[in-house]
Amino acid sequence: MTPFDFSIPINPSALTLEMLVAALGLGILILGIISPKGARSGLGWVSFLGLMGIIGVAITMWGQSGELLAGMYLLDNYALFWKITFMVAAALVILGNMRYVDKVGNQAEYYSLTIFATLGMMVMASAGDLMTLYLGLELMTIAFVILVCLRKTDNKSVEAGMKYILLAGMSSAVLLYGLSLLYGLTGSVIMLDISRIIAMQPVSPALVLALVMIIAGLGFKISAVPFHMWSPDVYEGAPTPVTSFLSMGSKAASFAIILRLFITALPGVWENWAMVIAILAGITIIIGNLVAMPQTNIKRLLAYSSIAQAGYIMVGMVTASEAGIKGVMFYAFLYVFATAGAFTVAAYFYNVTGSDELKDYAGLSQRSPLMAAVMLVALLSMAGIPPLAGFVGKFYLFKTIVDGYLWLVFIGLIMSMVSVYYYLRVALVMYRDEPKDPSPINVSGPVTVTLILTMLVTLIIGIYPGPLSEVVNSAAHSFFLH
Amino acid sequence: MLTISLTHYVVLSALLFSIGLFGVLTKRNAVAVLICIELMLNAVNINLVAFSKYITPLDFTGQIFSIFVITVAAAEVGVGLAIIIAIYRNRLTVDLDNFDWLKW
Amino acid sequence: MSDWAGVFIFFTVALVFGAGGILTSFLIQPRRANPVKMEEYECGVPTIGPTWVQFRTSYFLYALLFVIFDVETIYLYPWAVRFNNMQIFTFIEMIIFIFILIVGLWYAWKEGALEWK
Repeated sequence: MTPFDFSIPINPSALTLEMLVAALGLGILILGIISPKGARSGLGWVSFLGLMGIIGVAITMWGQSGELLAGMYLLDNYALFWKITFMVAAALVILGNMRYVDKVGNQAEYYSLTIFATLGMMVMASAGDLMTLYLGLELMTIAFVILVCLRKTDNKSVEAGMKYILLAGMSSAVLLYGLSLLYGLTGSVIMLDISRIIAMQPVSPALVLALVMIIAGLGFKISAVPFHMWSPDVYEGAPTPVTSFLSMGSKAASFAIILRLFITALPGVWENWAMVIAILAGITIIIGNLVAMPQTNIKRLLAYSSIAQAGYIMVGMVTASEAGIKGVMFYAFLYVFATAGAFTVAAYFYNVTGSDELKDYAGLSQRSPLMAAVMLVALLSMAGIPPLAGFVGKFYLFKTIVDGYLWLVFIGLIMSMVSVYYYLRVALVMYRDEPKDPSPINVSGPVTVTLILTMLVTLIIGIYPGPLSEVVNSAAHSFFLH
Repeated sequence: MLTISLTHYVVLSALLFSIGLFGVLTKRNAVAVLICIELMLNAVNINLVAFSKYITPLDFTGQIFSIFVITVAAAEVGVGLAIIIAIYRNRLTVDLDNFDWLKW
Repeated sequence: MSDWAGVFIFFTVALVFGAGGILTSFLIQPRRANPVKMEEYECGVPTIGPTWVQFRTSYFLYALLFVIFDVETIYLYPWAVRFNNMQIFTFIEMIIFIFILIVGLWYAWKEGALEWK
């Protein structure tokens, strides 16, 4: 049965979420065309409320499962959990940065591209074949490239966009070459078929080459060392809301697709690659944390810290078990909230003071106690300090590899301690130093809501991880049911 | 008489891909880098169409995949060239060595 | 083979018709050259200064828009081939696809990308 048999009836209701998100993105673009310039700041609310509505629809779809087009599109709790995560991330980014976007202008483009990038991620989460995977990935990447150079008169922003498109283009070409070899070896692009055919063949050199290229191409997307060099530049040059969405959404979506590709399509060969992933994870954790230490720009610091976070998440991929998948999803979900908190503070601070430098954060606790507190909670959660969500997440991740990869556990522990050093440096600057300009910073309504929400979620998941853990368990379980 | 087999296509595609990758890593002009990325993507297309013809002659999966690759590549190049135009307007150069405002 | 005779005759007549006209005009034309007659006409005006200059970026913006819309229509072809045995859903899908392209064109128009600046 080929996927392109037009006589197979297609059930459009299975694609409800994707269609709604696409319609929302197009609707925002059309509203931007027909509305006068002054009214466009309302588009932020339209997109936020639209996304919240779609999240509501998504929650009612929990538990549905199925396949479309002979397995090209997979629907299960795993995909749904990721989709909700992406939409939550997009909604947080939109809610927390409306004023920043109004200042930049181009609201219609910004909001519609954010939503299209979300759509790309959602397609990736459900992708059951190599074509859908590639299309989702490129939809996300191209939308992000345009978002990165949204401030088109700012040289840094455009330069970041240029670096991103050239390196992203190269990495997706490498990934595609790997995918084409995989297709040549198995004669199918559908992951479930590939896994059956691969299981019958011995591991050939061409398969090894294909896997190396796929790991390199996707490693770029999650900015795993040694494919990480683009991310600090792009993170610094991009407008801050875009940076925050890039570091949580793009990374989470790439993890979703890596798990799907390797565990659904290549289960037989995975054992040979666990060590490679473990080593990559170890290097990523070490380099990310060590290079983050001397940074003086808050966005660069967060960029390197997010490289290190990607390393922690990769730990969950090593065993490729249900527990590992659970750890990845759990950590990605709370990472979204910690990142949204930290970057919303950075974006708002930049909006008020025009600076991203760490030294200008001096005395933030006196100028705006809320912003300082949220930044502190977000950073400590990333460091994995016990009462916060990051600790639970790291616990789930490292628990899976205690048997057999004890060295990686030690690297993770030592580097977590190292990371506390530079996270606390930010805290010291905010709480100990005297502000140069003691004028208080007034935080506007939507930003306050975003900040308090991210902080509360980080605290609550840390203290009471049970409900989220159960949801994630159910999602990870559905992964193996196809 | 020499007949053209799958191997020839795969070797051609591998060579084209390597030339493209070499160009991406060594060229200093942004437009040339974009052209080299196109070379890599076209190598992928040759692979896909050849595999489709020789391995799965009964369905068109590989050919349809290559259609998608072509359109996405066009979109990618469109965005890339637009960025290059924007950067040229700001700085009057497209030499990658000059783009060093962001450094670690 | 007789099926192809018509094609052969068609090509022969086409060739003779085209080549005959050129040949006849070459044979019977008067050959008197003067400066006015040697000037370019209908191919643009004589150039002033060097012509190897950079083109304005507006040319490239047009080319970009053209390439993107041009390539997207690649999907219409396989769709049209299957037009006779197609579900209604597939038909509506293509309408949606074209609608999305039109929104893109509308946006480009509204943003002034089609104007010469």
